[in-house]
Amino acid sequence: MATLELIDIAKRFTKKVWGVKKMDLKVEDKEFIVLLGPSGCGKTTTMRMVAGLEEVTRGTILLDGKDITDIPPRDRGISMVFQNYAIWPHMTVYENIAFSLKLKKMSAAEIKERVEETAAMVKIGELLKRLPGQLSGGQQQRVALARALAVRPKLFLMDEPLSNLDAKLRVTMRTELKAIHQQTNATSIFVTHDQSEAMSMADRIVIMKDGEIVQIGTPDDVYFRSANMFVAGFIGTPPSNFFNVECEYTKENISLKHSHFTLEIDSMKFQELGKYRGKEIVLGVRPEDLLIVPESKAVFTAEVLVVEPQGSHQVVAINLKEIIVKMVVSAETKVKPGDKIGLGFNIKRIHFFDSKTENRIVFKGGV
Amino acid sequence: MNNAIKRQLKRSAKRSSLYIVLAGIAFIIIFPIFFLFSFSFMSDYETYSEWPKPLIPSFKANFMIDKNSEGYHLLIFNKSEDKYMPFGPLVFTNSQEDIDNLRKFIKLQSNSKITSQKIMEYLKIVDSKSRVEFSIKKDLLANYILFFQVVNGAPKAVLNSLMVAGATILISLTIGGMGGYAFARYFFKGKNILKLSVLFVRMFPAVSLAIPMVIILAKMGLYDQPLGLSLVYSVGQISMSIWITASVFMAIPVSLEEAAMIFGTTRAGAFLHVTLPLALPGLAASAMYSFIGSWNEVIAAVVLTQFNPTFPVVVYKALVGSQGQINLITAGSVAQALPAIIFTLIIRKYIIQMWGGVKV
Repeated sequence: MATLELIDIAKRFTKKVWGVKKMDLKVEDKEFIVLLGPSGCGKTTTMRMVAGLEEVTRGTILLDGKDITDIPPRDRGISMVFQNYAIWPHMTVYENIAFSLKLKKMSAAEIKERVEETAAMVKIGELLKRLPGQLSGGQQQRVALARALAVRPKLFLMDEPLSNLDAKLRVTMRTELKAIHQQTNATSIFVTHDQSEAMSMADRIVIMKDGEIVQIGTPDDVYFRSANMFVAGFIGTPPSNFFNVECEYTKENISLKHSHFTLEIDSMKFQELGKYRGKEIVLGVRPEDLLIVPESKAVFTAEVLVVEPQGSHQVVAINLKEIIVKMVVSAETKVKPGDKIGLGFNIKRIHFFDSKTENRIVFKGGV
Repeated sequence: MNNAIKRQLKRSAKRSSLYIVLAGIAFIIIFPIFFLFSFSFMSDYETYSEWPKPLIPSFKANFMIDKNSEGYHLLIFNKSEDKYMPFGPLVFTNSQEDIDNLRKFIKLQSNSKITSQKIMEYLKIVDSKSRVEFSIKKDLLANYILFFQVVNGAPKAVLNSLMVAGATILISLTIGGMGGYAFARYFFKGKNILKLSVLFVRMFPAVSLAIPMVIILAKMGLYDQPLGLSLVYSVGQISMSIWITASVFMAIPVSLEEAAMIFGTTRAGAFLHVTLPLALPGLAASAMYSFIGSWNEVIAAVVLTQFNPTFPVVVYKALVGSQGQINLITAGSVAQALPAIIFTLIIRKYIIQMWGGVKV
């Protein structure tokens, strides 16, 4: 298996349009990396550069320490699953899977064995004689997967492979893909714009925005220690709530003043906020870290705007004049639109961001 | 309630009048073509001695042989008069020569074949019973066979036409196909203007360019040669090929080629293994379009050939030079038009797609 290293790569489409501005990334052996970001952030371009389908404007791509920057795609030892599957409609499923093996001049018996083995792995053993036109979307997806697995690649690339499937199938395939990865242990790069897909599959997530990496980290990292407001707002359903607060610093505590509430926190735990004395900072709170509490203990009270039951939990939206705050509460909690509820924060899990740079304010004492 | 009925009536009236108009237009277009076909199957007698003309040519001819003191008479059934009319020599005997002439006359005038023995048999029956009626199956293709027999150089002209068409297809499909692929796959400045401008060469009528074309082809030594003619046709056909093949290649996703490149082929290999097999029906349609364009063209061919005319030139000359024998000329015309009509029906799907992607 293989390691992949991207050193300072960039892609420029036209004079002013950059696909990828700057990217450094090291993918370890057997790792499952997910490139995540909104559309147009350069994640697919990055993958296409790794595949060799797009020339790099600058930088070096190393696979197993070997420079593959200018090598044609067929000699890179990679395989890829495309967003629209890209299985060849004029070949049967068997021919599709065997295509690359035939070009490698493997013997017919070997090819047959490899194709059947791979087809069994993705559960299309009985479809080998069909043409792609006779298959459902999910089955075509599996054929594309089998074709990519059959070559035993050093590096396995997947470009939004699940985005054309219906919601239920997507979740099933997610699990199967992860199981296949555990079985084959191929170093994999997976591109998606679906953050829940990324969270559930990745060893490490690379979050991109405007052609640059915003954060690289495990799913826990990006969720609990989001590097900046973009990540905090992108990851999680619903995403983080942000409050612009003014920071007033006294010896005993810090009071954070928002137009609706004042939150007092222990100045010892949040010493680093000292330099923001008298300035505005952004308080970030995950929906599940907003708590419904008795009004006597509440930091503030507000009126419920909408309740969205989700089965296992409910999403409650609260209207705070200029913003809508969303919180997640248990399914048993009884709230209805128009109710006045008292709200508190889970202080251990609140985040602070610099309002100018939008970057996370890191505290030595944890969080 | 009343209103609903009124509305419905109004709508069906609108519908009906639309269909009536459309049927009228279709009739105006189709009827002459239908008549052309119908005529090409008629014998001389049907063409010139029957009025009104039947819509569908008959499949057999009915004859009667009669006898009186002067000798035998041959009569043919005339459908417009609804009775037997004299046909051929007024009187004939049962001499071998007379019977032979009669046989030839029947064949020529009514496209029906009968042997001399058969005529002899009929005459014997007439001798004993005084008259006999008989019918002979008509040879429907007689006009076509006759056309190629009597019109000078017609078979060779067909061969010329096929050669010209073949060369035109070869030239226009290779160059046009490559152009079409480039237009389908690459983005560059001025692409749309360039794509439109390849059609400019089709704006000039062949006649206006006749003299320069003759001079240039003569200098190249290609005047009156199938290859020279195919070069001239290719100029126009390449632009059409570009448009057709571009739409064909555009319908094949790039990712199919990219997948091939990742799974082991070169760029050219991806085209060969994946794009070409998928594009084949479309390319065939483009080839047929070139065929039609070259097969049907007559003006440039008249100007640019002398001793090696193409088939449409021969048909045209036969039409211009003929005195009567319309049924014969129509047979030539149908022989000329038929391949083009068949190919047009085959490729109509692609032609419609080319101008806006409406699927039939």
